[in-house]
Amino acid sequence: MRFGNIVVAVDGSEVSEGALDHAVYLAVDGHASLTGIFVVDSKWPDFIGNDWQSARGARQGFLDYVRWEQEEQAQLARAQFSLATHGMDRAVFTVHAGDPASVLLAQSANADVLIASRRVFQISGRPSLKSLAATLSKKASCPLMLFP
Amino acid sequence: MSSGSPGFFRQLPSALPGLVLIVVTMMIIRIWIEPWMAHTKIFGMSKPLTDAFHLNYILLGIMSGMFYRNVIFGGRIPEMLVDGFRLSRLMIKTGIILLGSLYTFSAIIKLGVTAIALISAFVVLTVLLVLWLGKAFGLDRSMTAVLANALSICGVSAAVATSPAVEAKASHVAYAIATILGFGVLTMFISPFIGRELGLSSMQYGAWIGTGILNTGQVLASALAYDPMVGPGTALAVAEVWNVMRVIAIPFAVFAVTLWYWAGKDAVDSHGNKQSLGSLLVEKFPVFVIGFMAMVFLTSLGAFGDVGVESGHSPSAAIMSLRVTMQWIFGFGLVGLGGFIDFDELRQAGGAPFRLGLLVGATKYIVALLIVLLLRQYFV
Repeated sequence: MRFGNIVVAVDGSEVSEGALDHAVYLAVDGHASLTGIFVVDSKWPDFIGNDWQSARGARQGFLDYVRWEQEEQAQLARAQFSLATHGMDRAVFTVHAGDPASVLLAQSANADVLIASRRVFQISGRPSLKSLAATLSKKASCPLMLFP
Repeated sequence: MSSGSPGFFRQLPSALPGLVLIVVTMMIIRIWIEPWMAHTKIFGMSKPLTDAFHLNYILLGIMSGMFYRNVIFGGRIPEMLVDGFRLSRLMIKTGIILLGSLYTFSAIIKLGVTAIALISAFVVLTVLLVLWLGKAFGLDRSMTAVLANALSICGVSAAVATSPAVEAKASHVAYAIATILGFGVLTMFISPFIGRELGLSSMQYGAWIGTGILNTGQVLASALAYDPMVGPGTALAVAEVWNVMRVIAIPFAVFAVTLWYWAGKDAVDSHGNKQSLGSLLVEKFPVFVIGFMAMVFLTSLGAFGDVGVESGHSPSAAIMSLRVTMQWIFGFGLVGLGGFIDFDELRQAGGAPFRLGLLVGATKYIVALLIVLLLRQYFV
């Protein structure tokens, strides 16, 4: 089976290596375009919404710190994607902000296949991201390949 | 990643839809549902919802918020409503400031001495226990430092304040927060039952939950769930003195744990600014505590008339209207706070932070109860 437009979720950790390698293999084999996606999780303010008494400086300091950590992770993801797609013409890496499930679903809406690890984005994410793969399985509008 | 709090008045128009939902929910609960529960018969039992399940407007309010988020809205508050739900934080802070009108300085010193002794002992012992268990569970130093403060002082706020200073990974902090919230939700519902079964007085109950419940939002809710009245000597009045003592401890505990963390580090990290106690106080000291103390000061001067404790007279009209206002404000605020409890996040918490958090949280909860029972003659 050949695909013309492949989307892969990349988080810069070894977890996403298997999915990325397979996406590159499919893209080279089918002369397809390959889009790597990293999502900066924007749900953190909501996640700590139950905390009513933190000083504003403490709350914002924490959110800035989380943002900084995720931006560093995005750089690792970019480097991981660049290394894996070295020499490929039609490979693009993009960084988005939002809820990881919603972003991946929206960005893969017109793709021929979405490829991801079951544990992708857990490295910098909230506990509910454990169910990211299950959400993608239920809601993806294109074929989905999940890796361990 | 902004916290989305540009100031009350600028935020108000976008907050209106969420505020309307919160206000209408609480009005329905207080005007129709509570009176209905107080008179209804189910399966031949008279008033089972209030007598057997101890439901009141506070628990119903939190449950409504959780229901909105997790059932009606499918796990997230809609954008249109989220600003209104966020304002619940401001409401609760305002309620706590007004709560200062329950105390005069002499009353707060009387309560505060016991609170400081109990809180200090529990903070120090919990920190030491977590540092020891953190090693036993094989957690890294940053995770241990976050858990030490979160489990010893006031849950999520302490985790938020400590994490950047000790370079904790966000995913680890998330699991710690989910554990604390999950444990807090459980204790918030079971504590009133336990308190009633043991026949605890308001003072004993307030001292217990003020010490034993991890997250201070849930201390507030649990106190009001036990006794929905707002006034001197109620569970709320006692628990909140404990609460304020814990909040004041945040910057100092962050400073101490940060020193411990950096003392064990070989290299200085690029973000490793060891903050001074002064800068931590400026950045992390919650301003509402000053408002609360200002209110105590004004009350002590008699600015609102007779408080109705030491004189034996009825409270003044101003004090009475402040107490009614507080009941409504806490009711609104806790509907909003319930809207930020996400079952999906709590359900998926796990790992070593979860196990350690549960162990320490349960130990603290039980030991605090045992101490209050042991010293119950001092808590009257």
